[in-house]
Amino acid sequence: MSLLRKKDESYAGDTVNMTGVGLRYDGGPDILNDLSLTIPQRSFHFLTGPSGAGKTSLLSLMYLANRPTRGSLSLFGEDVTAAKRNRLAAIRRRLGVVFQDFRLLDHMTAFDNVALPLRIAGIGEAVVQHNVGELLNWVGLEDYKAAYPPALSGGQQQRVAIARAVVNRPKLILADEPTGNVDDAIAMRLMQLFVELHKLGASVIIATHNEPLVARFPYPRLHLDKGILSVLPTTSGQIAVGL
Amino acid sequence: MFAFRSDLPLRRDTASRFVLWLVMVLVFMASLAVTVNSYVNVLLADWNQSVSGTLTVQIPVTAAGDKASAAAVAKVIDVLKRHPAVAKAEAVPRAKVIELLKPWLGEGDAVADLPLPALIDVQLGSKGADAVAAVTASIKTAAPDAVIDDHRVWLERVMGLAEGFSVLALTIMVLVTSALGLTIVFATRASLAEFAQVIEVLHVVGAKDGYVAGQFARRALAQGLLGGAAGLLLYAPALALVAWLASRVDPEVLPHTTLPAAHWLALAGMPFAAGILAMLTAHITVRRSLSQKV
Repeated sequence: MSLLRKKDESYAGDTVNMTGVGLRYDGGPDILNDLSLTIPQRSFHFLTGPSGAGKTSLLSLMYLANRPTRGSLSLFGEDVTAAKRNRLAAIRRRLGVVFQDFRLLDHMTAFDNVALPLRIAGIGEAVVQHNVGELLNWVGLEDYKAAYPPALSGGQQQRVAIARAVVNRPKLILADEPTGNVDDAIAMRLMQLFVELHKLGASVIIATHNEPLVARFPYPRLHLDKGILSVLPTTSGQIAVGL
Repeated sequence: MFAFRSDLPLRRDTASRFVLWLVMVLVFMASLAVTVNSYVNVLLADWNQSVSGTLTVQIPVTAAGDKASAAAVAKVIDVLKRHPAVAKAEAVPRAKVIELLKPWLGEGDAVADLPLPALIDVQLGSKGADAVAAVTASIKTAAPDAVIDDHRVWLERVMGLAEGFSVLALTIMVLVTSALGLTIVFATRASLAEFAQVIEVLHVVGAKDGYVAGQFARRALAQGLLGGAAGLLLYAPALALVAWLASRVDPEVLPHTTLPAAHWLALAGMPFAAGILAMLTAHITVRRSLSQKV
């Protein structure tokens, strides 16, 4: 995938650094409490834990939809706890986010949805056409470029969402159940895309309930339960990843 | 190709058509205010121009008869012609007086037989109040019962009327401008709520507040231009109709005037003014609303 090899913005420090982070929504109870976490550069983690443990909230802190109520958070070596909004926008351009519910824009074609991050970043239209086309081919949606999301199946929408998240060659990929709506073959193909991006230098965090999937890859996992985060070693043991 | 690309599903937006319609109505009203103000000012300036620096001397009809009155007129004219402040003085012929009264009295023998006062038109060399006072004093000496009208009271009232219309037009402009501004603020807020999820996605994929605001501002600009153009289109036939009606009125009652270039420029500028006002309002509204978020 040549399109994945064109940009290399390096940065100093860890991809994510959280110290004593707490999160609560407007006077509600603590969703996250005193969390500390380091995601080094070029790492790959699964994020597991029971439903309602706060996985999505933890991810939302990292893609800057929420600010920590307490503690400090750095992304790409930059403290974002009190950063200005425009600075946050610049940092978000180095992130790729896959939402559990996709959040595609229904009034745009699959192609335009995937092209959105590039166009917002002001990338030239020739590059947009080439990169988005190639990426949609890769995720097997070459026949659906002009289709609108409501006309796509859940699995197809998921692939559009993933393509949108990675089209800008992000340095940190945050994916919330990215393989929840596809069959095993496509799940493996999508995982291969994440692994490929990881090998090219991105840090990847994938929140999932899919234990068999986690077991197939030699990556550590972050386990979040009752607001307590622990890092567990890979469960894949000796399995070589035959991708 | 993508200059007009929008990331917001604006075609589904319900407030849009209402805003367009409202801009049209507001521009129509603003145009009307501009025209009325221009017309009244031109008309009154014409009158002002034609009467300032002039006096009208009336020699009343006396029991002594026409001859005495003719002698009085001749004496006053003689005095006036020798007065240094007077440029010109001449009796208005009786036929002209009847002609002037025609719109009110009609014509015919009855009018010809009416005892009408003799009139003297005086053109002053200088327009100062001193000249008026000096000339008035000379006339009073020559003909004590002469009635002298320097049109000042009349002029002041006419100018007062013109100012009244200007204030009225300005008031309409202020009302129209604030109505447009408030409409854009509320329509933009409604759109922000309607498209909250779209905007969140735009933010997640790296859009700055200015980019999002730009999307709304561009639409508001288009609405202002389009609605403004529609308002002018609606106004043109209305203006043409009124102009035609005015042209049918006797010029002695309503002098025919042409509206100044500034008036047409102001009308032509309406859609642009509406567009720019709408654009800035939308931009500021979005920026302020987004800056209160996380």
